[in-house]
Amino acid sequence: MKKFIGLVGTNSDQSTNRTLLEFMEKHFADKAQIELVEIKDIPLFNKPENKQVPKEVQIIADKIDAADGVVISTPEYDHSVPASLMNALAWLSYGIVPLLDKPVMITGASYGTLGSSRAQVHLRQILDAPELKARIMPSSEFLLGHSLQAFDEEGNLVDQEKLEKLEKLFEDFMIFVEITGQLKSAYQADKKEVENFSWENI
Amino acid sequence: MKLVGIVGSNAEVSYNRLLMEFVAKHFGDLFELEVLEIKDVPLFNQSDDQTNSKEVQYLNKKIMDADGVIISTPEHNHTIPAGLKSVIEWLSFKIHPLDAKPVMVIGASYYDQGTSRAQLHLRQILDSPGVNAHVFPGNEFLLGKVKEAFDTDNNIKDQRTVDYLESCLRKFMRFVNVVGILDEPQPAKAPEPEDLYATGKIDTTIENVDMNADDWVEQAAEAVNAVEGKTYVKLDRGILTVDQLNYFLASMPMELTYADSNNQFLYYNQTAPAEEMLASRNPSQVGNPLAKCHPEKAYKNVGWVLQQLRSGATDAVRVHVPTHGPDKYVVHNYQAMHDENGNYAGVNEYILDFKPIIDWYLKQTGQELVGGTDGVSGASAKEDKAVDGVSGASEKETETVAVDSVSGASENA
Repeated sequence: MKKFIGLVGTNSDQSTNRTLLEFMEKHFADKAQIELVEIKDIPLFNKPENKQVPKEVQIIADKIDAADGVVISTPEYDHSVPASLMNALAWLSYGIVPLLDKPVMITGASYGTLGSSRAQVHLRQILDAPELKARIMPSSEFLLGHSLQAFDEEGNLVDQEKLEKLEKLFEDFMIFVEITGQLKSAYQADKKEVENFSWENI
Repeated sequence: MKLVGIVGSNAEVSYNRLLMEFVAKHFGDLFELEVLEIKDVPLFNQSDDQTNSKEVQYLNKKIMDADGVIISTPEHNHTIPAGLKSVIEWLSFKIHPLDAKPVMVIGASYYDQGTSRAQLHLRQILDSPGVNAHVFPGNEFLLGKVKEAFDTDNNIKDQRTVDYLESCLRKFMRFVNVVGILDEPQPAKAPEPEDLYATGKIDTTIENVDMNADDWVEQAAEAVNAVEGKTYVKLDRGILTVDQLNYFLASMPMELTYADSNNQFLYYNQTAPAEEMLASRNPSQVGNPLAKCHPEKAYKNVGWVLQQLRSGATDAVRVHVPTHGPDKYVVHNYQAMHDENGNYAGVNEYILDFKPIIDWYLKQTGQELVGGTDGVSGASAKEDKAVDGVSGASEKETETVAVDSVSGASENA
């Protein structure tokens, strides 16, 4: 069975993005194992000279390394990704490469109608940056608008159309993970490049 | 012009800090730029509100007080640093100092790209409704290959780059002035022209008496059985006889004039003959519509002042009239009056010589006016501009006659 990490894209105590990932963990339990990972204890990124990432970050990096893929669920703050998620990704690309060539599925939930659409576009661009180089599932979007009303008391998605869409996307993601497994030719070269990167040598 | 420059990096070594410091130093004659750091601001967390922390409030206050903001951003992972995003999130959560604030984006990076992607993200972020900044369009300033860009004195080496930066900054300064107009309160509709002939009627208008009659006061008093002398009048708050009321108003150290909301001149505190007054009034003028108290060429300006007061655009219009010589500082104050329900009730024009007040204050406090021995009249020279301000876009009127909404062509000032 495939093992995935469900990255909660916010440090907030209350988050419907967390609810969404919890629902996916439960709903897809017969297809894959999804482990939720929180980013709230990660300190603020400050580009330390010694390139040492904090313990909390290393634990997450190891989990991602060991996983077959990552599902990131992002809120939208000010038309973009929350600082806390940017922060986590900054650490996760600072001399370490857990997301390099890692299949990633993006989901997002928001209180309003748009369902974090702008944040998701930014997140794709961020994950595409040379220091991260994740394999983002293309041409797919899961936008959950009005997320406060989207779940019942047991945390299940109420809207059947939305649920069906999520199920199909997850099915595609399982296939996408298989396919991207074959795109490994550049992995070693990329890994070396990132790990040996130094500002002084530009 | 006062600007603040936010260094978008919390790293100890940052070329974006060098860039911002260069802007502050090199363009010091264009504007005042205070460089602000974000490194002590905690990571945003909506479950742990630190809006009131010292660090957030410091930035809040500095931004609120500034005419505009420049942000210098590095690029991390094709976007802005988490530290900068975190600051913007604090500044768009419970407080919104960037709302309607002109903001310019610049950036420096090690690569050729010079933060091109980060700048685009930052523009979109600043454009979001929670932030709602006025983002300076175009004029992208991307400083690539920063390791080679600065000399040993931390100045940008390439003169063409400096010239381009200067042209962007100069345009930003114009942008700051232009966007200010966007935020000025707009009147709901154009104000009605003022009826200076007082052809209307309000509750208190005394009808069937010729407003232009020299003895309007006597005729009108008879028409309404006006009380006088030792008759008591109940006021808010007190009781005075009409005589006492007259003593009281006559003792005010200024010339008081009452025109009602129908633009009829009803009263002035007669204490001196017309030729001795700062703005002359004749007993026979009382009762006149305001049109009759002014030459026709002044109507436009009189109407403008009244519109300001009636519409509530301002409660007071003040005009310094410098024609009394250096020994006086005479100001015509047009103060809106309102009834108990806040409705416009007319204008109280009080004409006051401030000079004795200022002299007394200086003497009491042992202070002197600086900037020349003749501080007061020096200031008055500047005030000529203010008079033009009142007369609006119209032709330059002779100021005293033009703006005095009540006094007549006989004005001796």
